[in-house]
Formats: sequence, C-alpha cells, structure tokens
Amino acid sequence: MPTLGHFVLHSQFKPSLTAGFYELKSEQVDLPFPVAPEITHIHVQAPRFVMPTEQILSSFPPANAEGAFGDRLPQIVLKRRTLPWERNPAGGGDVNPAGTPWLALVVVAEGEAELSGATPVAECVTAGTVLHQPADKDVEQGVHLAVTESVVKKIFPTVDDLPLLTHVREVDIDDTELVGGDDDGWLAVVLANRLPVFDVAGGKPVRYMACLVNVEGQLAALPPKVPAFDNVFTWELAQDWRVLSTLQTSGHVDAAAMGQLAINPNLLPAAQAAANLPRAVNVAGAAAGPKTVAQQSLDGAGAMRQPPVADQWRSTTAKVAQAALEPEAKRLVRSTMGLGFQLPISKYAFEKVLRFPVLAHWSFTTSEGATFETLMQNLDVGLLGTLPPPPKAKAGKPAPPPQPEDLPEVVATGHIGLSHRVRRGDALRAWYRGPCVPFATARDGADSSKPLPLAHAADQLRRVIPDGREDVTLAAAFEIGRLLALSQLSIVSALLRFRAEQFGAGRVREILGRLVPFPLPKGLANAGPLSVDLGRYVAVQVVDVLAKNTDRMLGPRRPIADPGREIEVGGEIDRLIASGLGLDYDGLMKRSAEFGLVATLSRTAATVSGTVGGGAFGELEQMALADALTSELNRTLSVAVPPAATRPRARGAAIAQAERDALDELLDQAPPDDDEEAEA
Amino acid sequence: MIKNLQSAVTMAALQDAALYYADYATDRSPDDGDHVVPHELRHFLARLRLLHGVPFSYLVPDAKLLPIESIRFFYIDRAWTDALTQGALSVGTVSTADRTQLESVYPHIRQEVDETERYIRRPPAEELLKDGSGTLTGFILRSRAVSGWPNLHVRAYSVDKLEDDELTNLAESAPERMKVLRIERLAPAVLFVIFDGVPAVVHIEEPRQGIQFGVRLDPEDPVAGSHRAKVRIRDNNTSLPVPPKKDYTDENSVDVPFRPGAPGVLNVTALRDRLQAMPKANKNPMAPNEFALQMLRFPFRQVFGDPDNTVGLQHYNLDKFIATVALPDWKDTVIKGLKETGP
Repeated sequence: MPTLGHFVLHSQFKPSLTAGFYELKSEQVDLPFPVAPEITHIHVQAPRFVMPTEQILSSFPPANAEGAFGDRLPQIVLKRRTLPWERNPAGGGDVNPAGTPWLALVVVAEGEAELSGATPVAECVTAGTVLHQPADKDVEQGVHLAVTESVVKKIFPTVDDLPLLTHVREVDIDDTELVGGDDDGWLAVVLANRLPVFDVAGGKPVRYMACLVNVEGQLAALPPKVPAFDNVFTWELAQDWRVLSTLQTSGHVDAAAMGQLAINPNLLPAAQAAANLPRAVNVAGAAAGPKTVAQQSLDGAGAMRQPPVADQWRSTTAKVAQAALEPEAKRLVRSTMGLGFQLPISKYAFEKVLRFPVLAHWSFTTSEGATFETLMQNLDVGLLGTLPPPPKAKAGKPAPPPQPEDLPEVVATGHIGLSHRVRRGDALRAWYRGPCVPFATARDGADSSKPLPLAHAADQLRRVIPDGREDVTLAAAFEIGRLLALSQLSIVSALLRFRAEQFGAGRVREILGRLVPFPLPKGLANAGPLSVDLGRYVAVQVVDVLAKNTDRMLGPRRPIADPGREIEVGGEIDRLIASGLGLDYDGLMKRSAEFGLVATLSRTAATVSGTVGGGAFGELEQMALADALTSELNRTLSVAVPPAATRPRARGAAIAQAERDALDELLDQAPPDDDEEAEA
Repeated sequence: MIKNLQSAVTMAALQDAALYYADYATDRSPDDGDHVVPHELRHFLARLRLLHGVPFSYLVPDAKLLPIESIRFFYIDRAWTDALTQGALSVGTVSTADRTQLESVYPHIRQEVDETERYIRRPPAEELLKDGSGTLTGFILRSRAVSGWPNLHVRAYSVDKLEDDELTNLAESAPERMKVLRIERLAPAVLFVIFDGVPAVVHIEEPRQGIQFGVRLDPEDPVAGSHRAKVRIRDNNTSLPVPPKKDYTDENSVDVPFRPGAPGVLNVTALRDRLQAMPKANKNPMAPNEFALQMLRFPFRQVFGDPDNTVGLQHYNLDKFIATVALPDWKDTVIKGLKETGP
C-alpha cells in the first residue's frame, strides 16, 4: 500500500486466465481398472460488450461537461486492475504476451462517427471479424461505433500505442470513501490518444464523444505504425458527416438510394456516387498530409462548407441535463448524450465502415480555446480604479491619441465622477465610490476612538467636498442597504420584532430598577459565558433574600408530620364500640336482657374479614405478606434515610460554582420529598 | 428589606419578569452562541456587510473599471459597509423613541455583526474564528478562466514564504493563511472574493478534479489556428520535474509529435521514442507506467504577489544573523557610545 498522498504506477497487471469457456479435465491413471475422466466446465466472465457501471470509477473530462479540455487527454478509470488484459485482442485464449489491452479509449468529434442504437452483439463488430468464443457474451444487445476506414486510420491508436495508453494505478484509499469496501486501491486507467482541442479557426466549441471500444479481433484494422509526425496540427474534423443530421426531416434512406436526396448534393460525399462517378476513396491521400480545401473529396476528408449543425451543442448539453431529471435517467442520459453522433454514416459512406463494440461512452464539450495558464498570465492586474491599458500601438504606426471622453472620470482616491440630477432638477456631477477602494481607509473617520454617529436618514451622510461637488458615496450605501432590507419581508418583521423585544426588555428593566433596592448591573452582551445576565442576577438575589426571611416572605414552615384528622365521637360508648365491631347493638341488648350480657356475647359470632383457607397458613400467603412487608419497609426507609438528595439544577455555571447561600441551607433543612402525590 | 414586596404573588411576578427579561435580551443561537441581536437579523446584516445582494453597479460603477480579462484587487471601505448596515437598520424607525433605542443598541449590533462576518462562509472542518475581523480586502476577477474552469481554488497568505509550486494543506484558520470570507461567481465570468485581512500573496489554482494526463499547449501558436504542444520531462528516479522550473527548454521538455493529417491525435509511439531519448527520462524501453509518469499534468497555479520576492525572503534565514563582532567588543562599543552621548 503506498503511503498517504502517494500513488504507484504499474505498467500492466495480467490475469492468469483470460475470459472465456474452459474445460477442466481430471483423469486418474495407473489404476488396474479404467476410470472415466471428470470433466468440469468453467466460464471465466468479463465484460465484453457493455462495461458494468460499478466497474467504472471515474472519467475525465466529466460527462456532459463544458470547459477547456484541450490540453488534457481524456481518460477512464476502471476498478478491476486486470480488466484491460482479460481478453486477448489478437484472438485466442491466452493472455496477450505483449501486454496489448483489448480496450481503447477513442475520442470522436461530432460528425466523425456513428454511434448506433441497441444492436445484437453479433452485429456490433465489423462483418467478418472472428471473435474468440463468440458465445461468450455478457449481454444480448450492445452499442457500436461505426467509423469509416479513413477515420480509423486517423484517430484510432496503433497497436503499439495501446499498451502505452493503459496502465495500472495503485492509490492509497485510507482517507477516501472507498475504504472499508471491496476496493483495494488498484485501478486500471485507459487514456485516449487525442487532445480534445477547441476549434480556434472557426471559434466554435466542439462536442466530443469518448468511447471505450473493444478492439478484439480487429487489431489488423487499426492504423499501422506511423513513422511520420508533425509538431504542429490544425484542428479539423477527420471526416465531416454532420450534413447527414439534416436528413431526418428532408427524406428517407430510400430516397437517397433512389437518387432523390433532398439535400444539396455538393455537401454530401454520396452525391458524387449518385452521379455514377468512380468511388474516389482516397484514404492514403487523406492520411498523407495537407490537402486543398477547394477539392471536395468523396471521403469527407475536407471540411464541408455548410452551416454547422454542431452549433446546437449547447442545446444538447441542456437536453442531457433535462434527461437526468427523468425517472428513466439511467438509460435516457446515455442516449441523449449520443445525439449528434447518430448519423447514418454506414448507409452513405462509399468506403468500408468498421464497427467496434462500445462498452461505455460519454460526451463533453470543449468550449474554450485558451488554456488556464495563458489566460492567467495575460490578465490585466491592478487595483480597482485602474483604467484599462491604452490600446497598444500597432507596428509602424504612431500610438493612437488617448480618448479621454471614453474613459470615466476616476481620481486617485477611487472616486468616480457621475452625472447627478439633484432634487431641484439641476444636472450636476457628483462623486461616488463603491465599497471596493484602492487603499485602506479608516473605518470611523479621522478619530478612530469615536465611531461615526449613527445615521437615521441618507441625507445625514451626504457630504460636500472642498471642490464643491457632492460626495454621495455613503448616502448611496445607506439607501441601498435600506432598500435591500425592505425587499425582504422577513427581515423587516425581524427588525420590528427585535425592536419590540428590546422595548419590552427595557420596560422590565425599568420596573425592576424601581422595585429592587440595589443598582442593576449593566448588561454586557458580548462577555461570553461570564456575562452578567441581569434576569438571572435578579432572580438569584431575590431568592436569596427570600430564603433568609422565610417567615416574613413566605409564612411559617409546614411541620414535618401533619396531625391526624380529629375523630368525632358522640353518643353512647357501647353503641359506638358495637358498631365499630360490626355488631348489631340493639339486637345484642335485646338478647342480653334475656340471657345476660356475657352469655349473649359469647354466643355472638364476631365478624372476621376474609377467610384463611383451612385454618392453615399457606406458603403463598406467607410470601405475599413478606413481600408487602419488605416493600413497606423499603419505602419507610427511603423516606427516613433518603439516598443522595437531588438538588434543583443550577441554571448557569456561575451559579453552580457560587458559594453556599441561605437558599442552600434552607434546602438542606427541608425534609425530603414525600411520595404523597404518588400515594394519593 | 424589600419594602414593596409584601406578598408571594408580587414576588412570583417579579421573578417571572426577571426571567422574561433574560429571554428578551438574549438570542440563543445553536450555531454561534448567545447574542443580543437575533440570529436571523445578525446574519442578514453580516451578509450585507460582505456585499451579498448589493447590485453590481454599486460595487463597480463603470464597466471600464473592470475590463475584459482583468483582475482588480481592492480594500473594503468599512465606512461604506457601515452605512449600508445603518440603512438596513433604519427600516421602521418611525418615532424618536425608536431612534433613541437604535442609537443605544447600535454599538452592540456593530460589534456582533463584526463577529458574525466570519461565520457566514464556514467550510465544515474549519475552526471557527472568534472576534471581529479587521481590514477586509479582496479581488474581482473577470476572465474566461472563471467560466471555463468552474471551482477555481483561491488561497491567500499573510506571508509569502511558500514556494510558488509547493503543495500545502494549511487550514484556512491557520495564522499564515487568510480566511476567505466570501467567494462567489457574480456572473458566469466574474469571480468576487473577499479576504479577512491584507494578503501578501494570492494563489489562484486550476480546479483539481482527479489526476489528469496531458500536454502543455504552446501559448504562442506558430500559425493562427494551429497548435503546438510540449511535454515536460520528469526525472525517472525521483518523479520530480526536471529544472528549470519556469521555462521549457530543450533539456527539460520535448515537442509532442502528432499524427499527420489527423487533428489532435498524438503519435504515441513517436512521443515515447522522444521521451526515451531524453537523458533524465532515459529508460529503454519505456514501460507504460513510465510513459504515464511523463504525461502526468498537475493543475496550474497562478501566484499574485511581489514578483521580486523569491522564496522565503520575508523570513530571513537564521544564518544571516551570525554575530561577527565578539561580545566584549560589542559591549565596549555600546559603553563608549553611551558615555559620549550621555550627560
């Protein structure tokens, strides 16, 4: 694992097996009897026609991006490090010994190639291409790129280029979101071989599409090694088929085949063929070097003079952004990005059209010709208030005279003279200076100890400076601040609420000041946690006084135990006792007259609440009684000996740390809270 | 003791009043603590101070002050922004009582808004800077670089001691780095930045979005409309660029070969051969990973500062203060000098 902030570049990472079908045959020999061999079938899977999205980590330039990508090679980063070598582009089941990957990143400009819709995978390769084990396919339908042979010769990488454009990167993922997942920090990177430059001559943005193509079985179709090179190139399309994009409205393919093409025949290479001219496929000439623009060759090697349809690049970008909002975004975004690349080239081209399966594709727009470096180096640097530099004198001509009337009236202080119509209607010139000034200014005027007085109206800030002109700088600032506040209803109401609260607070303070016999401290708003909070201060003081003088302020303390309710006793004592015992007094008296009191009492059964089953004291009853006793005992104990008494929580750190005062003592003396309410 | 408090009822009312007062007079914000000015209002005023929402014609009164492809540095005029806040506060002051109240509370507001200015733009994981800020500066950049390279990196430092291309991970709250109080694209091609202090050096950097590979297009096209490109060599052993840093010479760069007749297509093998021929990058044959190393491109950083200041000159090296006079001699000189000048 590389150290933090570093990465390691590796050339390649070949797998032990390429993808495909394998047969594992195990035989046992030297046995006295024959044993049938065990045959196991293995399918080593790898993407072939579609790159699963989870295998793509990132791409550069970002999909659908607009920017200056002219000096950067497009790239795609794949998560599995062996992916580019899991198939042999030369065919066969072995790992390519030269390390040639089967993937290539090809960058085509709008109008150079055709991106197909969903096609059966067998039709995604050039007819006649022999794939190793064609049954090994990951999907049934794929997308392919149809390009004419001459375009392939121009923009596709050579066989020797392929290994150089692919490498493996080992990065440290400890500080990324990838840590903890399946990722090990090994990534395969495929670079393109083409700079997506800006069309400087035409001054137009160019839309490019980067396609990750499968070159399996078609290595021979790739351009041969090119020994010649130029140090300078001029941007142009490798072939210009953009005129085909107008076909949608003007006619049908059949119409073209019948020679009834509704587009200007001069624009389309097919027109010459329609006139039964010999096929002027001039591949070698197109690839060899500069050609005259005047001659329109059949293969579209020269730029066509026609209104560029690609001018609509901006709308395509917008369409993709719109498609991303759709529920079916996953499918729609890809197909929308293919807009402008879906020209039916194969139907019109008179040279061989090759097909390459596209595993992934995305489009982007180079909308800027200059590089960041040149732009930044050529910036006009100055403090605000610096006027633009005078136009440079052209060689051989005297410098043009300065034109003062064009330039604003700017002085060294940063003030600018503006025409000003005063309230009386006079047209004057006044000075104004924005908040951005070319030198450090004093915030509070000359005397920094005393802030400038608060202004309540813009007119308070109008100044007349010694040259007699008015300086409306601060007045304008005041007015725009007022308007900005007024423009937001919530701010206006927040201001009014704030003011009302301040008035309310002021009233409370006033009342308190009259009621309490000590001077109220001044509230310090910004002293942090140590600030004297007036309200809290008053509360603490008052409670303290209260605690010291409980008799006068709150009345006598409540006794710990309340005496019981007085029982009203009236009437005959005998009758009272009898009713208490649940006896019928009158009946008892009647019988005692007959038998005598003692005998009567002995004959009368006493009322007993409940029945103790069988006279025996059961185990259950014993347990219930013991439990009741324990809980009652616990409750009594908890009342008598309270656990750590909970104090009322102090409301601020300052109070918590304060010394013990009368209130604390009072609290200590107070009996613990009884559970009266819980019982009641 | 307390004459007017005779009953517990009065007492309770007084207590309530005191508590309400505390509630009225403080605003408890979960983000930045207790203040007098309510959160919403305080943040609105602080945003106003940073010129959020102020029409652009108030910032730059004439388009000629901000020509195409220019950068203009400035100081923020605090008197101007104070007038702006006063204007906002003047809304709804109808009566004399309102104005008196505003005058008494304004020092608090001003102090708290000074502090809140630094809360407005607060990247996560950045420390909160307390206390008010002093002089504010900034710049307006009007360039295609703003529209073509969204998410530019802007950094300002109070001392210029970092080498122009050195990597750094100083936090914004670090003392050497200036906090960016506001960075906003006012228009697709206009970038407005306010710094918390007066920077000695400002870095503007190309957005870093992953590792990129590429070439350096020659800023001076040989013929109008055509392109020429170079690749700077990296030392194969150290992976550092070959000096000189500032220049593209024959020793530290190669011309990029392009396939003839094919716009923008690199002749990769020819480029490999050229790179191989360079002494520092020499490795025969060049492997794909070594080729990738040579093609690495890092973001360009534009440094605005004192061009005469090379690295570290503001922090004098310690060896420049080596004592060259013996201490007794120095003492004698001082005593003698004092005697001569003294009474």
